[in-house]
Amino acid sequence: MSAPLSEERAGRLVHARLGRPAQDLLETVVVLEAWGGVPSESALALDGVVLPARAAPAPAPARPLEHEDEQREGIVAEGIALLVAIIAVAAWAGPLSRQLGTAALEHALHVALPLTVALQWTLRSRYLGRRGGVRQLAEERVAVLLLALGMGAALAALPGAGPLVALFVAIWVGGAVLARRGWGLGYAALVAGEAAALAAGAPARAALAGLGAIVVLACALAIASSRGPVEEAPGRIGRALAAGAIGALLGGLLIGDSSLGWGVHGAFPGLALAPSVIGSLWGGYHLWQFHAAVPRGLRGLPLALASASIPGGPAAKILIGALTRLVGVTTLLSLLVLAAAPWTNGTDQLGLFVAFGAATLLSLFVSLHESLGYAVWALIVAAVSLAVELALDRWLLAPPPGVALSVAGAVGTLLAVAPLVRQLRSPGRMLATALWIK
Amino acid sequence: MTRPSILLTTEATYPYAVGGVSSWCHLVVGGLPEFAWHVLPIHAGGRRPRQLFELPPHAALAGRIEVWGEQLPRRRWIRDRLRGGRPSLPSELVRALIGWRPDHAELLDALTWCRRHPGELRATFRSEQAWRPFVAALRDVLGERHPELAAPPELDTVDAATLYQQLYWVARTAAVATPRVDLLHTTAAGWAAIPAIVHRELHGTPLLLTEHGVYVREAYLAAARSRASAAERFLSSRLGRGLCLAAYASCDVISPVTSANAHWERKLGVPAERIRVIPNGIEPSGELTPLPRNGKVVTVGRIDPLKDVQTMLHVAAEVTRQLPGARFEYWGPPTKGQEAYARACEELHRRLGLGERFRFMGTTSEPLEAMRDADVVLMTSISEGLPMAVLEAMAQGRPVVATGVGGVPEVLRGCGIVVPSGDVARLATGVATLLRNPGFAERLGRRAYARVRESYTQRRCLEGYRTLLAELTGHDLAAAA
Repeated sequence: MSAPLSEERAGRLVHARLGRPAQDLLETVVVLEAWGGVPSESALALDGVVLPARAAPAPAPARPLEHEDEQREGIVAEGIALLVAIIAVAAWAGPLSRQLGTAALEHALHVALPLTVALQWTLRSRYLGRRGGVRQLAEERVAVLLLALGMGAALAALPGAGPLVALFVAIWVGGAVLARRGWGLGYAALVAGEAAALAAGAPARAALAGLGAIVVLACALAIASSRGPVEEAPGRIGRALAAGAIGALLGGLLIGDSSLGWGVHGAFPGLALAPSVIGSLWGGYHLWQFHAAVPRGLRGLPLALASASIPGGPAAKILIGALTRLVGVTTLLSLLVLAAAPWTNGTDQLGLFVAFGAATLLSLFVSLHESLGYAVWALIVAAVSLAVELALDRWLLAPPPGVALSVAGAVGTLLAVAPLVRQLRSPGRMLATALWIK
Repeated sequence: MTRPSILLTTEATYPYAVGGVSSWCHLVVGGLPEFAWHVLPIHAGGRRPRQLFELPPHAALAGRIEVWGEQLPRRRWIRDRLRGGRPSLPSELVRALIGWRPDHAELLDALTWCRRHPGELRATFRSEQAWRPFVAALRDVLGERHPELAAPPELDTVDAATLYQQLYWVARTAAVATPRVDLLHTTAAGWAAIPAIVHRELHGTPLLLTEHGVYVREAYLAAARSRASAAERFLSSRLGRGLCLAAYASCDVISPVTSANAHWERKLGVPAERIRVIPNGIEPSGELTPLPRNGKVVTVGRIDPLKDVQTMLHVAAEVTRQLPGARFEYWGPPTKGQEAYARACEELHRRLGLGERFRFMGTTSEPLEAMRDADVVLMTSISEGLPMAVLEAMAQGRPVVATGVGGVPEVLRGCGIVVPSGDVARLATGVATLLRNPGFAERLGRRAYARVRESYTQRRCLEGYRTLLAELTGHDLAAAA
């Protein structure tokens, strides 16, 4: 079938096909058989004769990595929606407090806030933080629906402000789903409309129930109408539950400081939360590219330096970029809101902005720990922070607003930073042992 | 009398994907009910795969192994954490799987540890103490000198981390529990062999390997065809080689589907007495039908670089230049993940101006019908074991023009036209010769038909496995009958 194979011809064939010398004898044989028409017996009999001398290899261009997940779609719309929603929800506080009573509102917020954050973290871990997250949610719609119904019924049955809690949770958690679906602006419009209705004297319970029903239906429609292939499986349940627990603890931080007075002071402190939430959104968006940017930044780093300490490595750069954005935006917006304090109600307390900023900073670090697979440490940090806040809240006598939360945030941040610095200092090791082994 | 039990491990095939290996699995599992089959498929993570083959009553899934997914093995939180894992594991695996002269005993020790300590694997690979020795071991491997080796490529940190992750999944695959059985039967000398290798080492159960293609050859081919960097090609082909050598070293018998594979196996260190060739088989059609004499050239197969569809397009251009009445039909979908290649083929089709003279027909549920409606069946693959498409064409009495890869020359000897792979001119000449000489084509078809009925029937294939499996399980076929 083929002419006898000379060493020279074999070498020429391989080089012509590959455009380079073969890496070893096996590659030579494979190429000769597949593209040279050489029977395997003949090719396998070649031994090492067609290999080049051990000269230095020609430098090969590094293949750029996929820019996976680098661009998170609809981030601007999501940001605007979040901002409008926060301001609108803050605007609910006054009318709701007047109609339902401060105690009932505060009680409802104390249950609903941590629960909302917990559910948002859970949903993000299992579905919404992934490519095609809403479609994954759609695939498990029956289980999700049953869980949602069960949870809604259980919350509504809570003594005191049960139905109010259920409505808050439905409206806020539903907002996360709608924003991920790209319907954040519509959600913001709904929430703003609710604020206007409440301000105009609409009955609170009926208005909230109406909004809750609309949001739930919109969520159902958003999930049902999501299209496209589902390439990834949902995240594992254990990890989602751990994320939920972390979220609950972080949500607990928001209510653990009684000096914040949720529901007591009208728009205060909801409006004060806006700067840090927006800062967190931008910082978090920058951090979103962590998983793609770190390997890209390490491309070309020689093997000899794979375990080396590189303080200004790509991982550290991304984190510093995220922190700069978070702190910068939070500070700037806080100053703006403070400047507008004469025209708003109860947003003139600097300590409050510091407290929310500290909580947001802590959330960023805890979130990074969780995404690197250190969920236990993230849980410990969040739990210690909450414990510190509750202890201070109990023992400090008439502190300025936000002191307990500020100190808790600072303690938690310190706890979170130390192991992160150790990880980020050796980016090669971090990529291999933390980022890619989940 | 209880049936001897067999654990069949598969890799990205049965029962979740269609193709030659899956068809073979279904034939053997379904056709040998005297054995109790436990099927353990390995598949890539992501979505839960859909089962495409219904298992017969004497077979059942023994779980499934998902690699690259997020699921974790069961852990005992406190105990596994306190033990601290085995930080030397990644470096042991890199030496034993990537090194040119691997130490099989070291690999077995490492893999059996994985099976005994599944809950410690994640902690081991996440351990800061594991990374530095791993990098040192990898650098040692790159520094190896051997007459069969050219200079290694320059690896960077990301390449090392990628390999580290792959070895983690090798360890995870080794850690998956397997049921107690009388025989281990693996369908590829790659990932599918890992659980069987560990099981054999722990329990002494005999291990049979059936090779359809040659795993290491396909790993090298895939790497050579890819647009990956030299480092990525180096690591992926070396890992394929390492897994293949490990499977060869552990198995008691290898049953390649063609003696062409046996050359590779012997070259890679398998003693000839451990190799038992059992060719694939096919159910011959009842009646030989005459050629339709419609000038049609048919191919059935996936659109995949291994099938070298681009060479086929050039062949079609040449044949239709000589014989304007000739028509080519390609039946089969693109392989998942090879959509870009399919698009490149369509682009080439346009550039060659083939139009209606060459048509991509898509998936068919009636491949035999498609072949029966052909005057010539064409195959231009660059790598094959013993392709079912060729046997199917022969079983329909259709003359075949094919590239001489794998077991093709052996099966078509004297009853088909075999030419070197990639040789457009000779492929075109073969096709044109048959189209111009229908009498000759008819004679070749009849001889092919007779060859299949004589040597490549399902009955013969099943009989081969029945005897071998009974021998390996110590099952007395006569007593059972």
